[in-house]
Amino acid sequence: MDRLNARLGYLTALPITALLLLSFVAPLVVVAAFSIMPQKVFSLAHLPDFSAYGEILRQGYWRSLIWSLGMAIAATAILFVISWPLAFAMAKVYRRFTLVLTVGVVMTLFVSENIRLFGWVLTLMKGGLIEGYLRSWGFAGFDGLLYNVPVIVFGLVYVYFPFMLFPLAQGIAMVPDDAREAAVDLGASRWQLLREVELPLAAPGIVIGCLLCFVLSAGAIAESKLLGGQAVIVMGDEVETAFTYGQNWPLGAALAMVLIAIIGAVALFSVSRVDLDAMFGGRK
Amino acid sequence: MTFTRREFNRGVLTLAGLGAMGLGSRALAARTDELNILCWEGYNTDDVLGPFREAHAGATVRAESGTSDPDMVNKLRAGEIKVWDLINLNQPWARARLYPEGLIKPLEKERFMPYFEKMAQGFANPPYPLAFADNGDLIGMPQRYGPFSFVVNTDKISREMAEDQGWKLFLDPAMKDRYGILTYDNWNIIHMCLTGDQNPFAPLEGDGLETFRATAGQIFGGAKLLSDDLVAMNTALINGEIDAYFTGGTYTASPARLDGLTNIRGITPKSGPLDGKGGVVWIELTSAVNNPDPSPLAEDFLEFVQAPEICKAVGFAEGTYNPVAQMGNPEVFALWDEEELDAIQWDSLEEEMARSVQYDVVTSYDELYTIYNAAKRA
Repeated sequence: MDRLNARLGYLTALPITALLLLSFVAPLVVVAAFSIMPQKVFSLAHLPDFSAYGEILRQGYWRSLIWSLGMAIAATAILFVISWPLAFAMAKVYRRFTLVLTVGVVMTLFVSENIRLFGWVLTLMKGGLIEGYLRSWGFAGFDGLLYNVPVIVFGLVYVYFPFMLFPLAQGIAMVPDDAREAAVDLGASRWQLLREVELPLAAPGIVIGCLLCFVLSAGAIAESKLLGGQAVIVMGDEVETAFTYGQNWPLGAALAMVLIAIIGAVALFSVSRVDLDAMFGGRK
Repeated sequence: MTFTRREFNRGVLTLAGLGAMGLGSRALAARTDELNILCWEGYNTDDVLGPFREAHAGATVRAESGTSDPDMVNKLRAGEIKVWDLINLNQPWARARLYPEGLIKPLEKERFMPYFEKMAQGFANPPYPLAFADNGDLIGMPQRYGPFSFVVNTDKISREMAEDQGWKLFLDPAMKDRYGILTYDNWNIIHMCLTGDQNPFAPLEGDGLETFRATAGQIFGGAKLLSDDLVAMNTALINGEIDAYFTGGTYTASPARLDGLTNIRGITPKSGPLDGKGGVVWIELTSAVNNPDPSPLAEDFLEFVQAPEICKAVGFAEGTYNPVAQMGNPEVFALWDEEELDAIQWDSLEEEMARSVQYDVVTSYDELYTIYNAAKRA
């Protein structure tokens, strides 16, 4: 009976599995297949070679990869630090105000990312909101705050803030107040409370928030283009130019595969370390 | 209430089935009253499409604006040849990629040749030669064009000085961190060749590639910012963060000029390595896509955009403003007022065209692109 049940489980899962394979895995397979085609071809009807991957090593694309991953790590770390207190307040302190805050943060997502970033360009540029006002108040003018690496990280932090805040608040909401009170009663310091009770119990939310921010930041292009003046060339940009101006689909596909492999490995490793079912209300 | 996996699957499958039926019915619909245009911005505005829709009541006319020539070429290559009826892009892509690969088809000469007669100098008598394939087939109709070299703020760098210095302006140590690069990669490569006194349209190898490497390194090394967004580049120029940008022309400077900022000016160098010429001009072609189920409206639309009011709407669409080949016809020219002519630098257009060569296929593009990209990354 148990075996029959197990088989029925697989069978009932079959239609949705097929749909998921078709919609998510098939495009990835096409990209993977293109990545092993000879360079500069536009169909999959060629004998595979790995020259596109060789090109990545030869032409120094690792530099873009390191910049993308490095900035994604920095943005994720900054986001975690600044979102934690706010997420804590949303989950444990604010009551009705949480709704106001949620609506406020979600509303920013209604406006396109490029337009929001362009708003920052107008704020940070020479003669913009900050430099212009300071100069008109008699301070010495300066060259604007754009076109460098820190401003790109700032852009990533700004754009992906909601993606850290909400999972984190959800994670913190899972920490039972009883557990915190018990820890304090038993003499835990604030630091011990955070490290030994709150962080481990909120881990699913932390992992989801960090993963979302890291994955999105690693593939982000607009922040580097609009705010950073391409002070560094990011991986997403390399993929885009390989497919367009480069007219080298296999190279673009190989670059994308490298990024997918790294991000996929990080995601699988992180997800395997926490009990996501607890967060989504599944089995305990 | 419980919701089993089986019920969930049934719901998903029902939705998927309905979706597939929707797609199927669209695929079976006749295409006699449908027109899909893939184009640079301008042809997709209501000023252009509105009158065409009125004239063809009942027809579904859609136009989508592309973000770059290669991006549009990719769409056709990736199978969208079945979707589009017309494609509008710069002529080298039509001549070197689309036509040889069978993605576009020749136009009826009897129907379209007469339109060349009323066009401006360079497009009429003889008809614009690059609108034809090597075998003489007419592969597209020209309309918008413009010189495309670089742009300066004439309050900081005078027009005369910029024209005299030409591309060497960007190698001047005094210009370090005073200019941006508009990263239209294929154009940057042409312009970097010209800066290094090289002909981009001839094969380059050995020492030629080394010269290009040195020029690209120097140009990227001295740039304050890179962007593929002309608005960002004009903004930086207007607020004084940069005094010039590498790669640009009437197309990119015109929006700022129409806003009254006539100190933003496209510059065509007075001299250069291409038989004494240092400027380059782009010319768009609108071609019929080799759609297996073609729409008869495609060629009707190509004729429709030759009408004076529509020529004006195409040349003066939202975003960027450009001269059109049909301005050789006095009826068309009369539709531009003084400010609009100033925005497209009409006063110097003829001399700039005379100092420019046609945008063409870069012979050693693959090698140069690799070097260009490495320099950009470094």
